[in-house]
Amino acid sequence: MTSDEALMLQFQGGSRDAFEELFARYREPLYGFFRRRLDSRERAEDLAQETFLAVIRATARYEPRSLVRTYLYGIALKLVAAERRKPGTTSLEGQAPAAEESHETALWVREALDKLDPSEREVLMLREYEQLSYQEIAELLRLPVNTVRSRLFRSRMALRSRLEPKEEGLKCT
Amino acid sequence: MYVKNHPIDQEELMAYLDGELAADRAMVAAAHLEECRECQDLAGDLRGVSVRLMGWQVESSGLRVQNTVATALDKQRPKPNRLALLRQWRWAWGSAVVCILVVVLALPRWSQNYGTEQFFAPPQQARVRPAPEPQPPVGLDKLSATAPMIARTAQLTITTKDLDKARASLEDILKQHKGYLGDLNTSDPTDAAHVLNATLRVPVDQLESVIAELKKLGRVESESQAGEEITQQYVDLEARLANSRNSERRMTDLLRDRTGKLSDVLSVEKEIDRVRGEIEQMEAERKTMRNRVDFATVTVKLTEDYKAGLQLPPGSLLNRFRNAAVEGYTAMVEGAAGAAVFLLSYGPSVLLWAALLFLPVRFLLKRIRRRAAH
Repeated sequence: MTSDEALMLQFQGGSRDAFEELFARYREPLYGFFRRRLDSRERAEDLAQETFLAVIRATARYEPRSLVRTYLYGIALKLVAAERRKPGTTSLEGQAPAAEESHETALWVREALDKLDPSEREVLMLREYEQLSYQEIAELLRLPVNTVRSRLFRSRMALRSRLEPKEEGLKCT
Repeated sequence: MYVKNHPIDQEELMAYLDGELAADRAMVAAAHLEECRECQDLAGDLRGVSVRLMGWQVESSGLRVQNTVATALDKQRPKPNRLALLRQWRWAWGSAVVCILVVVLALPRWSQNYGTEQFFAPPQQARVRPAPEPQPPVGLDKLSATAPMIARTAQLTITTKDLDKARASLEDILKQHKGYLGDLNTSDPTDAAHVLNATLRVPVDQLESVIAELKKLGRVESESQAGEEITQQYVDLEARLANSRNSERRMTDLLRDRTGKLSDVLSVEKEIDRVRGEIEQMEAERKTMRNRVDFATVTVKLTEDYKAGLQLPPGSLLNRFRNAAVEGYTAMVEGAAGAAVFLLSYGPSVLLWAALLFLPVRFLLKRIRRRAAH
């Protein structure tokens, strides 16, 4: 399988197929990234598209110093931050659960995540849902790796105590 | 408090579970985790949190390349990054430069050999060339894909009048035909014929002429030639080599692109090491095969005509007497020294016991004699 970085270089050389392959690989992960951080499904789709749009615009400047994956999530994080700055935008913090998320576990996980400190929550979500390494998270958030590890540990410990009683409750019902 | 009782802290344990701990600490963590109940509980909790978080799955997006993106793609026509392009096509650029250099350097020589008219003549005329000169060894590169690969061998047994002279001639033949000596053994017994066994490696296209010249070294007692086709073996080896290289590349990509548990990473690294070992072994095997095809093996046994001479026993009679006398004297001195050593070792003890037992024994003997008298 061709690596993401090779595809990116091919896209730089003008290959549309290479871009479509990258799009296919990162379409769902990026949508998931935005969907878990924003309330609106449509907005999540739009921002995923915008991420790819930003890639297209910045293609000529891309240099394979870091992984394409880190590059994409870097753009996505900036887009989410910009989105949150807009007035009237609801994000994960304080948002009401989406109507289609009827699954109890999902709701309960969202509630537990919502109670975390935002900086710890971001580290945890990048690790658990985006499957990024400590080093990649450190690069994206411009933090020392040890800080990433500490925040991740604290957030997991906090979740442990918050998730357990709910689970027992669910089992009993 | 945790650190006091455990060789790793809780964050390290978490990093170990995430496959993010350095190898040396990971080994400590793995060993500790096997025996520590408290850490096993913590590991279970951490894993549980990850499992529970996975309960939040978002629906599939059904995302398509929207018009805006498609339009941007059409409009953008990505301007190639010159640096990246240079890097990507560095081999092509390098090859082109080398080709140009070769043409520039070869042009004057070509003109000298064939003249500019011939060089610039139409292709039909340019094809007319002088008779080919003797070629260097035919390498695999020059064999066509369908040409069989034959490893040729020959054995010769020759009896010669003067072995030293024959050996010098043999070395000349090798030098002349650009061959080399694979192995050489000589045997010079006093009461038998002198023999030279040699294994020669000669370019395969020189084999016939080498054998013809070797035959001139003396009387040929026996001769045999054989050829082993190794085409199939070579093709199989190439296929296995290509597969192993692909596996190595895939695993290296996997290691670079994915993160996972340390145990998985270690097992992938171990597998890569194993595959690399196989590749090196196969490359060596391929080199040997090529060498067997490029160079024929000629085993030569040169035997000198044996002329028996008068054999005298080694050493003179006088020396033998002298040696016997020396051996006798040595035996006598060693015997005397042995007896003296025995006396000195056990003599004092024997004297002591004799002095102690003398009176009681004498008394007993007297009483026995008296009773017998009565």
